[in-house]
Amino acid sequence: MTLSLENLQTRRIDPNQPLLEVENLVMHYKIKAGDVSAVDNVTFTIHQGEAVGLVGESGCGKTSTALALLRLLPANAEYMSGEVRLNGEDLLQLTEDEMRERRWKDIAMVFQGAMNSWNPVYRVGDQIREVLDTHFRGQMDIDTQTRHIEKLFTAVGLPVEMVDRYPHEFSGGMRQRAVIAMALACSPELIIADEPTTALDVIVQDQILRELKRIQAELGMSILYISHDIAVIAEVTDSLGVMYAGKLVEYGPTSEVFSRPRHPYAYLLLRSTPSITGPRRKLAPLEGEPPDLLNPPSGCRFHPRCPFATEQCVVEEPPLAEISGGHRVACWNYEEVPELEMELVR
Amino acid sequence: MLRFLTRRLIQMFILFIIFLSIVWLLLQLMPGDITDTLIGDPNIPLSTRLELAERLGLDQPVWRQYTTYITNFFQGELGVSFSRYPQDVWNILWEAIPRTLVLVLSATLLAYWMGFKSGKLIAWGRGGKTEQGFITGGIFLQTVFYPWFAIVMLWVFGFFFGWFPIGRFISVNLWQGSGLDATSVFQQLILSTFLALVVYLGARHLIKRTSSKLIVQQRLQRAAAGLVFLALVAYWYSSSARTYVADIVWHTILPVATLGLVLFGAVMLITRTSMLETLGEDYILTARAKGLPNRVVRDRHAARNALLPVVTSFVLALGTVIGGAIITEEIFSWPGMGQLFLQGIVVSDIPLVAGALAITGVLTLFAHLIVDILYTVLDPRIRIS
Amino acid sequence: MATKETIQHGEAIPEEAIPDETQAAATFEELVAGRDVAAEPLWRIRLRLFRRSFAKNWGLFRDSKMGIVGLVIIAIFGLMAVAQPVLMSTVWDPAVYDPVSGYDAVVNEFTVVEDVALTDETTEIALSDARFELNPTIDVGEVVRIPVQPAPPTLGGEEGHAHFLGTDPQGRDIFSQLLYGARAAFLLGFVAAFTTVFIATTVGAIAAYYGGKLDGFLMRTADLILLMPLLPLLIVMSAVVQINMIMLGIMIGILGGFGGDAIILKSQALSIKVKAYIDAARVAGGGDGHIIFRHIVPNVVPLSLLYMMFGVTIAIALEATLSYLGLLNIQMSWGIMINAAKNGGYLLSGTRYWWLLFPSGLAVSFLAFGFFVVGRGMDEVINPRLRAR
Repeated sequence: MTLSLENLQTRRIDPNQPLLEVENLVMHYKIKAGDVSAVDNVTFTIHQGEAVGLVGESGCGKTSTALALLRLLPANAEYMSGEVRLNGEDLLQLTEDEMRERRWKDIAMVFQGAMNSWNPVYRVGDQIREVLDTHFRGQMDIDTQTRHIEKLFTAVGLPVEMVDRYPHEFSGGMRQRAVIAMALACSPELIIADEPTTALDVIVQDQILRELKRIQAELGMSILYISHDIAVIAEVTDSLGVMYAGKLVEYGPTSEVFSRPRHPYAYLLLRSTPSITGPRRKLAPLEGEPPDLLNPPSGCRFHPRCPFATEQCVVEEPPLAEISGGHRVACWNYEEVPELEMELVR
Repeated sequence: MLRFLTRRLIQMFILFIIFLSIVWLLLQLMPGDITDTLIGDPNIPLSTRLELAERLGLDQPVWRQYTTYITNFFQGELGVSFSRYPQDVWNILWEAIPRTLVLVLSATLLAYWMGFKSGKLIAWGRGGKTEQGFITGGIFLQTVFYPWFAIVMLWVFGFFFGWFPIGRFISVNLWQGSGLDATSVFQQLILSTFLALVVYLGARHLIKRTSSKLIVQQRLQRAAAGLVFLALVAYWYSSSARTYVADIVWHTILPVATLGLVLFGAVMLITRTSMLETLGEDYILTARAKGLPNRVVRDRHAARNALLPVVTSFVLALGTVIGGAIITEEIFSWPGMGQLFLQGIVVSDIPLVAGALAITGVLTLFAHLIVDILYTVLDPRIRIS
Repeated sequence: MATKETIQHGEAIPEEAIPDETQAAATFEELVAGRDVAAEPLWRIRLRLFRRSFAKNWGLFRDSKMGIVGLVIIAIFGLMAVAQPVLMSTVWDPAVYDPVSGYDAVVNEFTVVEDVALTDETTEIALSDARFELNPTIDVGEVVRIPVQPAPPTLGGEEGHAHFLGTDPQGRDIFSQLLYGARAAFLLGFVAAFTTVFIATTVGAIAAYYGGKLDGFLMRTADLILLMPLLPLLIVMSAVVQINMIMLGIMIGILGGFGGDAIILKSQALSIKVKAYIDAARVAGGGDGHIIFRHIVPNVVPLSLLYMMFGVTIAIALEATLSYLGLLNIQMSWGIMINAAKNGGYLLSGTRYWWLLFPSGLAVSFLAFGFFVVGRGMDEVINPRLRAR
């Protein structure tokens, strides 16, 4: 089925052109006890039409990073430094009104637990209409809007009759699809999907991921996936970033990072996933717990749990440095990290 | 919907019978023989007393009195007042009911409207000194000793500033010799206001249908409200009874404001709590992510959902509202059901007291029903499909 | 021994490298050795846990400034309540200061003026009145001393007794009445609130535990009671029976206990009922009563305490209202004070006889405010969403 209909246009994309450039983003949460260093010097770039993934444990800062891009952080969050450039324009310098114009229209977001993204007292169709009214004021009359919404529903595989129903009349998976439909409503250049498949059963998970991949390819959109589930992310992304304790510790093409992780944390993370096909080996889980971001460890934030840590790691923080084409690691001892025999089966 | 309504009505009916029975039972326990009160002179022969007792139905066995009372009630027969013999209880209450209703409804509507608006704004704001001030003020209004508060209000605005009359319903001197009956003028006033309200609601609905832009809608609705209000005022201004109508309105303002203020405090606090809970929901974050303006997020998404617990809370607040109405009528000498109730208690006028309580019960149950219906309208999740 | 450096990935890990199960057990023993784990008595552990959770909750409570203000207010009134009997038995002369039966006619000076020239009633007296009440030969300009009631506040001294807040229309000391009223308010408040909470908790727990018909019946009753407005009902009851303070407290308690609070506490109890340790207790052989009172009720108690605070607020206001209307059979309370002012016709006197109206009215308001605010403070501890932002 083709999606190139009016108002849902495919884009001509140049995979080398950067769409969203995040540069040295630093963000703190201010609480009574002090500053929580939630996002520390995060740098990465999403290109046009690219699917990028961010993985990490709960509390590593991936969701905070995503919210920071849209400036949707809670009131006690403070941007300390850095830039977020969308097509060259720094979003952090815009006024709130200007930012509001770009929300959803340029960058849309599908939240964790999207089931609760729906306001229970309004119809689903009307809630989608809201975005159209806000961003395309005066350009679409009611009937055009309705047709557009119906097309969106069809695109994500929802029956058109459901447009005028209330959210509680949808099943969980259907609500998820509807959220994706709403995200596509303004044909954004980038969709941020935060844990898009958590709380869904495996079969629906698979369906949703395929949908997203297809839509992304056909419409020429970029997607930023956020998840703690590496297996899911590995399947659908072109580039992969690993976050730990607010820092981006490894970044590169998914196939490379997944098959040959260079950062100890990424390595241990991938090793802790059981493999059905590989040789039997004892699971080696990560010891210890993520650090307290109110007082993060000195030097490299991972050093207390790192089996490869040396004296330098305690004292000096490693920069995110490139080790081969597009593959960056933040580790002094990345060469010590052994091979991980895992084939990425797509 | 129809099945829901019939089921509720039956429930209400049963509840009401139980309520009425309890009321009747309690009143039977009140000491004192009414015949003593009516016939103060012990020299009057016993036969006359017995005759009177028979007239009042007091010679029947208790259970017979009970069933008679219940059946009579549904025929609109509430018995004869002991203290205002031979006036019919229903006749006495008939005048008082609309006065109490106006007092209670005006105060409640005002309190909920302003209270919800304030609570919503406070919860949305970033906190700080203003919020603390409002919260303290709200708590103060909610916990202040109401009789004392009403007395102070009456003294300050009636006595000290002299802006409003010292209680009562009308300035008796003004009306003497005018040939007009206060009750009928009052009824006309209520009727005209009600009609105006219906016209306004109709206009609102039409406006919603015809225009598509939200802003245009709002402006037209406000214009409609203004027009209707002006029409109403003009109508009464041009009528010959205008000074008398103004007199009644003038007397109504202070008691309504006093009762309203106290309710306002409570509603504001409940709204604030409800808004705070709602603001933590995921769909609010989604609304912000959609790029919706702040006011839309606050009103269309947050406040609309925060409204539900506030509406439910009204049912619980009814008891307080009724108590407040009784006190207000006592202090402002407002001739409504509350005043009649208190007077009846003091002289052990059982039929009158029973009648007042029974009517209150009916109205309370209707209020419950309206709230239930309102809730189904507001929350699609519980609509009967 | 194989270590991480020597194992090549893909290679099966040799048996020797896998840590021994028995070895692990030995390590645990080493861990526990020297610590007598079983010896600490259960009650000691419970006390320690209680103290710890209390300390944490107190910290949270302290954060809400309102809560502290409320506690201070309650403490002040508590002091007043305690002060009354102390003062009565030591410094004060009962004949003068007894709140109910005391009497003191404070003597004030008045200047005699012409009838038509009378401007200030608190310092002047009309000629005809003076001649009538005192001495037919009195003349304009003379200063006379007349006992006055109600008398404005005075510090006393050699002239007479001190009345910090003046006297009421029957010559009784207002300050003493105020202190006594505090006692009455606390007594009533606690009787009412305790009864309410006791009944509501029990009803809620039983309804949640047994469910079914019993639950349905109890909830229907609660609905019915919710329907009834409290004030009119109590007014009717006051006409049926002579109600004194304790009776009133119990009545309010019963009416409140079976009503709305029971519904809320029941849902709280329900949430506890489904917890695993209830099943564990049952398996261990605990009877119904045991489970209800030893497991469910203690977990509902924090919420009950919260409602107790609001219950006191309501009870104080109800008593004062009923006393104001003159319907109660009690001798003295703040409501009676306002009632006395009403009967004397001084209600709308405003600032002229302010001591008749303001101390008592403000006392009721402030104490109710104090309890309410403490309740809100506790609410913030239980419900994190309400905390300061």
